[in-house]
This record gives sequence, structure tokens and C-alpha cells, in this order.
Amino acid sequence: MPARRGWRRALLEGSLPAMPSTHDVGGASGFGPIVREAGEPPFHHEWEARVFVLNRRLMQLGFYNLDEFRFAIERMPPEAYRASSYYEKWFLAIERLLSEKGIIR
Amino acid sequence: MQRFRAGDSVRTRAANPEGHTRLPRYLCDRRGTIEAVHGLYPLPDERALGVGVASCTKEMLYTVVFDSGEVWREGTSEPASISADLWDSYLEPEQAR
Repeated sequence: MPARRGWRRALLEGSLPAMPSTHDVGGASGFGPIVREAGEPPFHHEWEARVFVLNRRLMQLGFYNLDEFRFAIERMPPEAYRASSYYEKWFLAIERLLSEKGIIR
Repeated sequence: MQRFRAGDSVRTRAANPEGHTRLPRYLCDRRGTIEAVHGLYPLPDERALGVGVASCTKEMLYTVVFDSGEVWREGTSEPASISADLWDSYLEPEQAR
């Protein structure tokens, strides 16, 4: 049985422990200034573009939807969330969704 | 079902349930005004659990506008408004003041 069923049932039954809401920090302070990069390119590494395309294609093909993808990022352990770059989060979310659905092992 | 029309006062729910939602914490328990009505859209809170579009709950989607003072609850140097697209179950009617 895919691991996904376990947490989904727990969520529907309300028996899941409090989810980390590490992502939901709008309005919170203490994170330091936002440093803007002049002339920032869309991607800083070639692998980031691959992750971008991979995600779009997997959604197009119906492996998961955009809200599942967003939720997968939100379910990251707080330490991993804070330590990961933008596209590292994308990659870890894709990996987790495909693993939970039994598509990769 | 359309509960609200443009210009109606609403209050967002005080706390979010477990799981995915499109209501950020900084917009919980805040008074806002309906700015636009978009029609029925699949509820992302359910879609996040892998529910298909066909079987997913559809709710009316609204653009709600909030004053920055109401959102941040402290003096802001430049008054501004914040708009968010929010689903019906995130909202309750609020008496206009």
C-alpha cells in the first residue's frame, strides 16, 4: 500500500499530528533582509531548468496536481524546508509525491 | 451557492484546519470586502489530497480586499490594500461598520 494512503486517511480522520506550517510565515519578522540579485536569471543551474520542466510534464500527464505539489512542499520537515533552495524544494516534493504514489522506489 | 456579492463585508475564519489551504495565516480572522465573484472552482484543500476535478467539492471563489492596517494590526507607513482569492468556506458574513 502506498504510504500516501496512511497520511491521507489520518488527515481525513483528523488524527494527524499538527502539520508543520513552516511555509506560512507571511507577516512574521526575524528572517533578515531580502537580498535582491541584480539581473537574476530564471535558473542558476542547468538542473533547475530540468526540475522545472519535469514538474510541469508530470502534472500535464496527471501524476499529481498543482495543489498536491504545493502541499508536498508544505509537508517538508521544517529543517529541510529552511535548508533547501527554491528548486531543491521542488525536486524533493516531486521525489516525495512519486514515491508516495508508488511510481518510484 | 453564492453567499456574497461585491461590496459585502466578510470575516475570514480564525484558524486553518490541518492540511493544505489557500488562506494564509496572516489573513486569518480579518475583516475584508468582496471585490469580485469568480464562480465555482474546485477546493484546493481537497485537490491537495489527490481528489480529481470531477469528484472534488466546488465552491464559489471570491477576490477579497483587506486594508493593510487590518492585516498587520499596527501602523504602517504607507496605507495599502491586500487582495486574495479565497474560497467560500474560508469566509463568514460580517456586519458592515
